[in-house]
Amino acid sequence: MTGPVPSLDRLPGEPRYWYAGLAVLLVAWPLLFGDFWARIGLGALMWIGLAQSWNMIGGYAGYLDFGHGAYFGIGAFATGIAMAQLGYPFVVGFVLAAVVAATVAYLVAVPTLRLTGAYFAIATWALAESIKQAALVTGITGGTFGLSLPRSSETFVGVPVPFPISEAFFYYAMLVLCLATMALTYYLFERHEFGYRVKALRDDQDAAESLGIDTTRVKRQVYVLSCVVAALFGAVHAWYIVYVHPNDVLAPIITDRMVIMALLGGLGTLTGPVVGGLLVFLLERLSSVFLGSTTFYLPLIGILIMITVLFAPSGIIGILRGEVDRADVRENVKELGEKFDLL
Amino acid sequence: MTDDILRTTDLTKRFGALTANDEISLSVERGEIRGIIGPNGSGKTTFFNTVTGFYQPDGGSVHFDGEEVTGWEPHRLARRGLGRTFQIVSPFKNMTVRQNMLAVQTDDGRSREEKRDRAGEILEFLEIDHIADNEARGMSGGQQKLLELGRVLMLDPEVVMLDEPAAGVNPALESRIMDHIHELNDEGTTFVVIEHDMHVMKTLADSVSVFDSGSHIAQGDFEDVSQDDAVREAYLGGTTAEDDEVPI
Repeated sequence: MTGPVPSLDRLPGEPRYWYAGLAVLLVAWPLLFGDFWARIGLGALMWIGLAQSWNMIGGYAGYLDFGHGAYFGIGAFATGIAMAQLGYPFVVGFVLAAVVAATVAYLVAVPTLRLTGAYFAIATWALAESIKQAALVTGITGGTFGLSLPRSSETFVGVPVPFPISEAFFYYAMLVLCLATMALTYYLFERHEFGYRVKALRDDQDAAESLGIDTTRVKRQVYVLSCVVAALFGAVHAWYIVYVHPNDVLAPIITDRMVIMALLGGLGTLTGPVVGGLLVFLLERLSSVFLGSTTFYLPLIGILIMITVLFAPSGIIGILRGEVDRADVRENVKELGEKFDLL
Repeated sequence: MTDDILRTTDLTKRFGALTANDEISLSVERGEIRGIIGPNGSGKTTFFNTVTGFYQPDGGSVHFDGEEVTGWEPHRLARRGLGRTFQIVSPFKNMTVRQNMLAVQTDDGRSREEKRDRAGEILEFLEIDHIADNEARGMSGGQQKLLELGRVLMLDPEVVMLDEPAAGVNPALESRIMDHIHELNDEGTTFVVIEHDMHVMKTLADSVSVFDSGSHIAQGDFEDVSQDDAVREAYLGGTTAEDDEVPI
């Protein structure tokens, strides 16, 4: 492709009207559709935010972090401990989640970011598993019993609120956090020189170093940032769900989902995790609503991932941008056909 | 007294039993264009990598602009003013040409606007400003070489080390690259250039250093070096050439 970078604003009419319409819909969502759909919206926003947090290190920086879900759990437990064990209001747990996640992430970043590729992925996966096992045997996390958080229905940050702390309230809390994550990602990774440096080290670390970029420092910054964002979503999730257990908030499936969502939507893009997050989350919810408690959606997602990796490595966003090379697709199909003796 | 901007003293780099650079002592004068030639595997690129901090030396020292910089990290050396390019051109392909330029990090305290202006000036100088907002992946090989040079210029370097700047480039673009190097050199930038094309080297370099089997075997202007017995030995494997041309 030799032309200018394609714009996403391909919808008919003025993009600002589309953005305004979307903003109104997001704000009015729980008021228009009630508690059930507020809960669905809340979940979608959380997963979009989590996928975006993984996209920072996995997509923009190109480091396959298979332990990222651990920071969601760290955030949830930091909030749980602050509220359930120490009796502090949520806001203290929220700040604690960021501080603990940043500290752990920095300590992890120093040795693990020297690794690349599969070695980094294995190291981070092992780290997440050790954190989960530690949480299962530690008293302050409630061990195998988990932690039950107090839910206040009349106060926020210790101040009485004139509205009920309901599904809609948590929807708005998640909406604010999700929008803040999107805005931060847009500014830092798409507009600021910091983002160019992150992409530079992903494309060619030696070339980046030769151009004055302290790649070790930049990698650590991205890793810590992405982990803190995941932890903040964990904090709000714990506040909302009022119960945290290692098998839930430290489950490997949390990382898996983040990876799948970002990969499907488009790695290293602003809107990829939004598209991938929405698609995977809705597929999961809809199959649960219409087919009952089932894992039917899992093979579907697996097939989608295979198709994406083989034919559109830049994800759904890549397809929408027209980045899929038809000759490559034909070549891949031919290769597969020959491999499985179909042609 | 000479004004050396880059000096290595007994610089040594080993990979196991192989000594890729064996006590290389070499001085580059401020403002000159120094060519480095030698057969494949003679240690030229290893020398670049060791001087610019990508390899830690096993012995010896590197001085840059009067300061010992042995073992400095590459990004620190780059910000200090020692720029380099690579044998295999490596643009950041998922970014535009302009973003490639803006990714460069310096310590000079330039504002974002000043940096954008500087990037625009360099792209204009290199005659690739018309593709500033195109993705780097769509550039031709020659344009990628120009972009690589442009990125290095964003460092406002005192010394630029170019690893085969004319390799794989068509003659017209090669001539443009050489003109740019001459222009920059006239403005005071020092160059150290590895190049296999002897015609390019003959017209470009003020002086030439010859490497063979990890050693620095000769130095001087192109004509003198091409008559040197050790150089002939390195390139011809010990046979004696009847004519005066070095067939390299």
